[in-house]
Amino acid sequence: MIYLDYSATTPVDDRVLDSYIKVTKDFPGNANSIHSLGTKSKELLINATNQIAEIFNCHPKELIFTSGASESNSSAIKGVAFKYASKGKHIITSKLEHKSVLETMGYLSSIGFEVDFVNILENGQIDLKHLENLIREDTILLSICAVNSEVGFKQPLKTIRQVINKKNPNVIFHSDLTQALGKTNFYLSDLDLASFSAHKIYAPKGIGLLYKRKDLNIDTLIYGTTENCPFRGGTPALPLIASFSKAIRLANDSLQTNIKKCEKHKNTLIKHLSKLNIKINSNELCVPQILNLSLLKIKSETFVHALERENIFISTTTACSSLEESVILNAISNGNKEISTTSIRISISHLTTSEEINEFIKKFEKVYSELLFK
Amino acid sequence: MKKVILIKYGELTTKKGNRNFFINTLKKNIESKLLGYEITIENDYYRMFINAKEEDIHNIIEILKNIYGIYEIVVAYMINNKNINVILDSSLEVIKQNDFKTFKVVTNRSDKSFEIHSMDLSQMVGGHILKNIKNINVDVHNPDVILNIEIRKDNVYLSTSGIKGLGGYPVGTLGKALLMLSGGIDSPVAGYLTLKRGVKLDYIYFESRPHTSIEARNKVIELAKKLEKYSFKGKLYIVNFTKIQETIYKNLDETYLITIMRRMMYKIAHSKAKSIKALALVNGESIGQVASQTLSSMLAVNEVTNFPVLRPLCSFDKQEIIEISKKIDTYETSILPYEDCCTVFVPKHPIINPSLKTIYEEESKIDFDHLIIEALETIEEIDLSKENKHNEEYL
Repeated sequence: MIYLDYSATTPVDDRVLDSYIKVTKDFPGNANSIHSLGTKSKELLINATNQIAEIFNCHPKELIFTSGASESNSSAIKGVAFKYASKGKHIITSKLEHKSVLETMGYLSSIGFEVDFVNILENGQIDLKHLENLIREDTILLSICAVNSEVGFKQPLKTIRQVINKKNPNVIFHSDLTQALGKTNFYLSDLDLASFSAHKIYAPKGIGLLYKRKDLNIDTLIYGTTENCPFRGGTPALPLIASFSKAIRLANDSLQTNIKKCEKHKNTLIKHLSKLNIKINSNELCVPQILNLSLLKIKSETFVHALERENIFISTTTACSSLEESVILNAISNGNKEISTTSIRISISHLTTSEEINEFIKKFEKVYSELLFK
Repeated sequence: MKKVILIKYGELTTKKGNRNFFINTLKKNIESKLLGYEITIENDYYRMFINAKEEDIHNIIEILKNIYGIYEIVVAYMINNKNINVILDSSLEVIKQNDFKTFKVVTNRSDKSFEIHSMDLSQMVGGHILKNIKNINVDVHNPDVILNIEIRKDNVYLSTSGIKGLGGYPVGTLGKALLMLSGGIDSPVAGYLTLKRGVKLDYIYFESRPHTSIEARNKVIELAKKLEKYSFKGKLYIVNFTKIQETIYKNLDETYLITIMRRMMYKIAHSKAKSIKALALVNGESIGQVASQTLSSMLAVNEVTNFPVLRPLCSFDKQEIIEISKKIDTYETSILPYEDCCTVFVPKHPIINPSLKTIYEEESKIDFDHLIIEALETIEEIDLSKENKHNEEYL
């Protein structure tokens, strides 16, 4: 099997799984309990959170564990909208966002918020001039992902922050960092809110993070909060939290090496695949882990299933919206259907080997020529 | 020109015979706080020079700002050439980095073999600066900028403004004391002020589980660690105080509960201090702040020890204490709302003027010596430098 769909999800690292199992066995207590089993769990909770805070260069109190990035995104966006509706009902986002952002925005527009989409330039970056024009006195929130999951476009968060500060410093800046974590550097100091997911960095599914700047107040979605979970409530999912913390540490330790490995593989892929009549959509502004291309003459879905018969796994757009036309590619290609309906995403990992890449290229060429012939 | 950090000593100048000991301790302290940085330190009787990578200098200065025994931290430019023209041009380059209207040049010539006398050199450099920068004047009384030139055996150092250091004596030069750390706002500040006079600290905390929680303990560990930013290799001793406290509570006159409890704490602290060769006890008492901090209460409690009990905050107002605790970043931790053993059992009307006669009568009802020995034997020791990483095997 050759798995090249690491941006959809990743296999759990053995070292991380080991933490999960050990913590499950060794820490039966509820971190909210005041007895010693509880305090033992709480201590681990604190240490696990502190470790992340140290790596992210933020305060531990600014980190809220959630069930994943979708919950983080929803909590951040709804939380700001409901808290600050009296100050303004204008929100800005982009077409580069994940469904959990876009559909939350859709819901908010249905109840009276006004949502604007910032234009995307042909190189995949958001149009900063347009953004500056969009920001108004009554704008309360801007939500732009740091790395787009489908094509891999990176956004200049620091510059975006400068644009906000220049036009209306009260605008709250949220960024979905799901595809940035473990793939590129980021600075939380540029942001007010940020979302993360564990299962994209070789940790188990079912846990994510919301970073919320310490002095920022937003509404909570869940009532019945506790001292340990003052924002989100619930019993801290200690095995998940500890393994997430470990995965973040491991990802941070090997970030630069991993980037180099993926760059090498991506270059090999581009070198060989661009000989075919396809359009490479990812560019030099993308993270090296994601390669998006349009097959032009072959529908993405057909191609993905054909590769699957060869025991190779990639995806069409993103796992969460696999069967739809790509909104982003539609946007950057001026509505060229051939590009936006035939795209596939190959996502690589530091676990990917050169043998896998070579084998993949061979199979790709084979399937491509077979399908083209039909 | 190479950037180096120049350190001017604090009150060390007054310590004639011990001066080398003070300087060496300061050097050792600096080295231990700068572990991980590639540095070399040179020093003489008047100055210390730290050579570091230029990109580290900013971070190093931030660390030096928290080390006692430093009067001033100066970023100086070193030239290893005593040619007068080089000195003139370099001086001009260094002073140009400042925005000023008036200046003065001060030369210090510790290398007496250098042929130009200090006053003459100052004049030459001043003249050169006046010639090359427009619209400026010399002002020897109140200049905007002072250019310091130090002619030393091997090198010449040029510098303008410096950053004020913490002052005080290098920690460790004047012995060790045991700080009674409660978890409140005052005791960390008392510790900080004691460190200033070169006294190294170990810490003692009285814990009364289950009446106090692990959170209260962690809070104290956190506070001790924050103080360690200014100190070195301190140890935290945690006393299991439950039995003594419960015994007092169950058997003795309620109004004397706090007085006797504190006497027991002092007895234990005294014995521990003695065994670790500490020479004094330190606490955060401020006269009159609470019933147990009246002079007559202090008298009654102090009676159990012949060690000096340092109370650096005795004359401070609460607001003044809070200001310092904010400055040293202990305030936020101190105000976390966990019960400590002084707040667990609080009598409705604690005695304000305790009488020793009653104290003796009350204390004679219980075999406290036995309980104290037990408490001393079960003291837990926490190495603060190692307390940083926890649960490593899971994370």
